[in-house]
Amino acid sequence: MFDKILIANRGEIALRIHRSCHEMGISTVAVHSTADADAMHVRLADESVCIGAPPATESYLNIPAIITAATITNADAIHPGYGFLSENAKFAAIVEEHGIGFIGPTSDQIALMGDKIASKAKVASLGMPVVPGSDGAVSNSSETWRLADDIGYPVLVKASAGGGGRGMKVVRSADELDTSLRQARGEAKAAFGDDTIYIEKYLETPRHIEIQVLGDGNGKVIHLGERDCSLQRRNQKILEEAGSAGINDSQRDEIGATVCKALSELKYRNAGTVEFLYENGEFYFIEMNTRLQVEHPITELVTGVDIVREQIRLAAGTPLSMTQADVNFSGHAMECRINAESPDNFVPCPGKVTDYHPPGGPNVRVDSGLYSGYTVQPHYDSLVSKLIVYGTTRNECLMRLRRALEEYVIGGIDTTIPLHQSIVSDTDFVNGDYDIHWLERFVAERAASG
Amino acid sequence: MAKFDVDEALVRKLSELLDDTGLTEIEYRAGEQTIRVSRGAEGLALAPASSAALTIGAAKEDVPEDTGHHPGAITAPMVGVVYLAPEPGSPSFIKPGDTVGEGETLLLIEAMKTFNPVRAPRNGRVSRILVADKAPVEFGEDLVILE
Repeated sequence: MFDKILIANRGEIALRIHRSCHEMGISTVAVHSTADADAMHVRLADESVCIGAPPATESYLNIPAIITAATITNADAIHPGYGFLSENAKFAAIVEEHGIGFIGPTSDQIALMGDKIASKAKVASLGMPVVPGSDGAVSNSSETWRLADDIGYPVLVKASAGGGGRGMKVVRSADELDTSLRQARGEAKAAFGDDTIYIEKYLETPRHIEIQVLGDGNGKVIHLGERDCSLQRRNQKILEEAGSAGINDSQRDEIGATVCKALSELKYRNAGTVEFLYENGEFYFIEMNTRLQVEHPITELVTGVDIVREQIRLAAGTPLSMTQADVNFSGHAMECRINAESPDNFVPCPGKVTDYHPPGGPNVRVDSGLYSGYTVQPHYDSLVSKLIVYGTTRNECLMRLRRALEEYVIGGIDTTIPLHQSIVSDTDFVNGDYDIHWLERFVAERAASG
Repeated sequence: MAKFDVDEALVRKLSELLDDTGLTEIEYRAGEQTIRVSRGAEGLALAPASSAALTIGAAKEDVPEDTGHHPGAITAPMVGVVYLAPEPGSPSFIKPGDTVGEGETLLLIEAMKTFNPVRAPRNGRVSRILVADKAPVEFGEDLVILE
């Protein structure tokens, strides 16, 4: 088992990783930019190394600085968290070349899943259901027209080099196809430097349902169930639930088994999440994230598994702690991502936190690095806290979440707590009746009504 | 008994410290001279000691060695390991008292097997070198004070 892990991240996830390390008796090294010198995880870590100036390129994305920090502190593994270098195949390779454990999949697996066209083709060949589409880049030829007809309108034109929901155009009829293809190419070139585009069936009212997996790197892969992350604004998840109100147990078991079978052929290593769009009883693969996800806590609460601990164990070469049969799903969990932003217009609001009082009580969990007197930095994304609650039923979970949101005090900055409060009291949400477009409409209506 | 000048201000200061801290004795040593101030039954007693005695630093009157940053300090532009000489065995780039010109190499920082020179940003005199050879340093850590 590792003696010392370097945490190559910041904010709430760095604290999360530190906590599992200390619970396993592993000492921690926090690398940080000058702006994060007072971050909670830096204060709690056994050692800290300042690696650069605030801009991420000079610090959290600075591979030489992070490797050097690991070398001088004699860290024997690095946990990359999420974002930053966590899905950088080159970083994973460099870490392992230095004889340091990389707590995540192999560099090749990261590279494969980072290529949206290649990963889709690969998983399709392994039996996963995918969104019907061009299976590769398209040109402006008549071939593309025929393809779009076969798929059936509406279709979505997507940039291969895009991501995070950017570089996508909906085409509703053959008349629009020509213009849309040309525009998409132009925009893709400008935004991503690559005008490769492909087309897919456009799903009108899908849910976003993702499956959490753990693999031992030797062919054993298990799943920890699904998360419903349909509530998104500008393709950023806002509120997630485990399990999904849109599928039942047998559907979960079936898609879970399909995913595990495909990934075990790849000998997938460590944690990952396979993301699907789900509509009318059908799952459609969109992408795989080869890292820990922000919303992992809701899975932890309904399965009792500490995913970060499992990541560390797997990276150290320990076998999976459980078989698929050992995994039990019990109750329901929800997570609110709380951002330091105005709840009305989402303008970021960094600044000093004055009063800080997180909610407590049974089955309430707060993953956050905030504390009274802490200054939220402007240089990084605005997620400052995750409020996660568990209930034995979805309804109990909902009542608990409302109660917890009422109690939560974060003074001195704007946060999106009021937005969450309005979501959780909305009839559609209460009924579990929403798709990936719901939140955008809700936010627009809320803004219109003032 | 060796003769030495009594620094009256110092003695007063030590006495005040005794009062403020509630201690019964403070011994202060500078060079080979020592003053001990203690609270006896009849009030304060002053006893010079000629032997080299260990200083009991009761009051934190430290010169700020590591607190905060020194003005005029050259700081580390990256995390890494400091090398004070161009090669093992050769003389250090600089020593205290040296005058350096702008652009002169002060020391090297090694990161991932590459050696990066840290150069003087201006002309000046090296007053202190704050890091040891082969010491690991963080980004922004004080390295050398250049006056």
